Amino acid sequence: MSYITGPEVVSYACTCGLLKPIPQLYFCRHCSQLRCGFCVCHEVDSIFCGKCSENIPSAEARVKKNRCASCFNCPSCHQELSTRIATKGPVVNPEDAKQPSPHKKTYYLSCYFCRWNSRDVGIPDQGSATGAWPERENVHAHRLQEIMDTYKQVMMSQKQQKENDKKKQRGKFVSFTDRTGVTSSAIRKRIGLPDIPHAMLKKPNPPEPAVAKLEVEELPDSLFTDPVNLLEITTIEQRHLQPETQAATVDMLFPIHKQLSIKRSLRCRRCEHNVSKPEYNPNSVKFKIQLFAYYHIPEVRIVTVEPLRAGKTCELILKFTNPTQHETTIAIKYVDLEQQATYVEEQKLSDVIEVLEQLSLQQPTSLPSLSGSQPSSLLSLTPRQPSITVKPRKINEEVNCDVAIPDSSFILPPRDDAAEYDDSTDTHNIEDDPKLVKWRKSNKAFIKLQVTPMAHLEVGKEVICGFTMQHIYTNVIATTIENKLPQKYEHNVRVFLRLGNVVGQE
Amino acid sequence: MPIYEPLSSEKLTVVLDIGTAFTKFGFTSEFAPRYIIRSEVRCKRTNKIRKLSSYESPEDLHDLLVDFIHAIYFKFALISPKDRPIVIVESLLCPTLFRETLAKVLFLQYEVSSILVLPSHLVALASLAVDTAMVVDVGYKEAVVFPVCFGLPIIQAWQALPLGGEAVHNHLKSLLSNANPGLQNLPEQILEDIKVRCCFVTKKSRTKSADIVPPPDVKYPYKGAQTLTVTGKVRETAFEVLYEEDNDHLCLSTMILDALLKVDINLRHSLTQNVFLIGGTTMTIGFKARLKEELLSQLKNEQYKMLNIKEFKFHVAPCKENYASWLGGSIYGATEFLNLKAVTKDFYLREKHLPDWINLKDVVGLKQDNGIRGAF
Repeated sequence: MSYITGPEVVSYACTCGLLKPIPQLYFCRHCSQLRCGFCVCHEVDSIFCGKCSENIPSAEARVKKNRCASCFNCPSCHQELSTRIATKGPVVNPEDAKQPSPHKKTYYLSCYFCRWNSRDVGIPDQGSATGAWPERENVHAHRLQEIMDTYKQVMMSQKQQKENDKKKQRGKFVSFTDRTGVTSSAIRKRIGLPDIPHAMLKKPNPPEPAVAKLEVEELPDSLFTDPVNLLEITTIEQRHLQPETQAATVDMLFPIHKQLSIKRSLRCRRCEHNVSKPEYNPNSVKFKIQLFAYYHIPEVRIVTVEPLRAGKTCELILKFTNPTQHETTIAIKYVDLEQQATYVEEQKLSDVIEVLEQLSLQQPTSLPSLSGSQPSSLLSLTPRQPSITVKPRKINEEVNCDVAIPDSSFILPPRDDAAEYDDSTDTHNIEDDPKLVKWRKSNKAFIKLQVTPMAHLEVGKEVICGFTMQHIYTNVIATTIENKLPQKYEHNVRVFLRLGNVVGQE
Repeated sequence: MPIYEPLSSEKLTVVLDIGTAFTKFGFTSEFAPRYIIRSEVRCKRTNKIRKLSSYESPEDLHDLLVDFIHAIYFKFALISPKDRPIVIVESLLCPTLFRETLAKVLFLQYEVSSILVLPSHLVALASLAVDTAMVVDVGYKEAVVFPVCFGLPIIQAWQALPLGGEAVHNHLKSLLSNANPGLQNLPEQILEDIKVRCCFVTKKSRTKSADIVPPPDVKYPYKGAQTLTVTGKVRETAFEVLYEEDNDHLCLSTMILDALLKVDINLRHSLTQNVFLIGGTTMTIGFKARLKEELLSQLKNEQYKMLNIKEFKFHVAPCKENYASWLGGSIYGATEFLNLKAVTKDFYLREKHLPDWINLKDVVGLKQDNGIRGAF
């Protein structure tokens, strides 16, 4: 597992130019390109609570402010709080001692990590486990709501005015109500209702402006004499956990509802297909769609490296593993960093053209569809806008070691899970170049390469070498009906290896 | 997942106020940010925490912001950023590189539909419902003073000095290493914690007289077994750096008075009657009282006598000061203003930049449009 969490020894260049180890890469089968977290489109798939593992629909999550209704976090150390039972003993009533009242269970919240509990801050114990724990309200809410409503009205009337101005400019059309002389206000008068203009057109009366005061909060004199108990004063993190109150002392900390978590689905920006989509169930760690590069691209691992000396050729043994169900042929080629640079330039040019095309396309289509008599709820269902692809960048890696490019290629048999347990049938009918392939077993091959760190490298400098791995990729998705056979084509991946540091002479 | 999306017309819109030290994040039409988090990300290459402001190159900043916005949307907001508007509250003095990179990240990487950029000093007044005030923002990196008159920030009168949380931290560090010999390189988090929990702004009278009884010392636990002694003198002098005049005779109080001098004479009175202090540093105990004292004593100086001011009146925000401008952004974002004035993706793709008051090209366009900033 160390190669997953440890330093990035073997890294692959994503199409966007970033270097990542293979577990962090995706492979879009539709574009046959490597993708990484940086160049795919992330989307929120489902929302759940990490503690009670309950799925929460996004509408409900929005109402609950993205927090779980029943799980709480400790306001002091931000760990999860647990509900504890505090049983009150049977109340022995001296008058009717024969009938002891039943046990009454009450609950309180407690943190197992820092021993904070809800009794510390004076929250009364609750009768039920999920308890209606008291919530605190913003004391300024009323005033702020009033202000916000006024601002909304101001903007609304401004917008209305703008629209009215536009209507006046047209002028060609004569309103039917004007011709008949029956305007809405006339009708109202006839019926006998008071004449009120539209609620939004009413001139909003501005809220009472806040009044500045001469006096400000004075420094309490007790500060100069009373000793400070650090345990009673909250830290800045504790304050920021509750932005509304930002309590300065510990006795004002209230339990915090636990923040919900999400599952993400990832989408290729070029073809809009998903490269990763999790299952809906929060307990499941499986995926509906998982196009991880790990399942499609041969994996490279370093087996041994001879001590690296500047200018001296040494032997490097790599292990190649074929993760697919199809036989593949791998050729090792020279890595061309210029190639990526030209690719970056090409993309820049094509982007400009694309943007121009997009603009010319959007303008005619956007208007008529919206102005029709569609109900407004349908407007939110407008189709997905095409994504903007992330601009590729140059590969930022200094290769300081030459790799002798072998003349021949080698074949990797398909992965066979049963072969792992079968020692007897390890025979291959593959003719290998003995100079290149050192040993092979099922879908793995050990390859010998000659590498030469550049002569000018100092002792202790890290040696990085790179090569382009060309492998035959078999695309199994039958995109077209007439073409049923799986398509095979060559796919190039640039692989960079951190071989270690240069050592001194023998 | 679109099927779980409700069909209601009201969309959640993120309001973001990215400060140098802390970022305030929440949604429009709410009265408090959901989270106040540090403006920093974990660097994937070195696995160290890096501040957003510590960028070395535009590409570096781009990558930092990509990671940061990713955390904002997928860890806290829990919505997909694509095709949604976003409200950004920023200082009028925000570096062009930062705002352009932010726009690039939001439009191209996260594909938001539009960005509404709001000047922090102006929108902070929204929660007070006043349109003329002297807004003093004392944050982490700097203190910025902007007079706002009738809903328009007076740009020629702005004042800024590197006085804020960072200056206090540096001052506190030197004070502590003087008091505790052998103590070097205290991490900033510890300094911040000492500042927040032990220090306060003292009275002006106490700074002059030599024979005062200092407040009690504090034993601050450090690195498990060790203790740091935060002496009473350190506790009350840590914030003095904000009020000491520098070589140019500038400090927090002179900034406000200098800004007043640059404003039209008829506006000065109403500005002094409406001083609004925002920013996290102003929440320190005793900060406002001391600032008032300093202002009144500075008025006796020759250069400020012509102002002919007798008093200052201070506003009390209906919120905590550290998110006052965020709250303004939340109120603005809840109105139609968002649809009317936001910079859309089409506009950005065509113009390739975010409109700014400093850019003459945009100023011409703005005149026809009646001004993006200060439409209320």
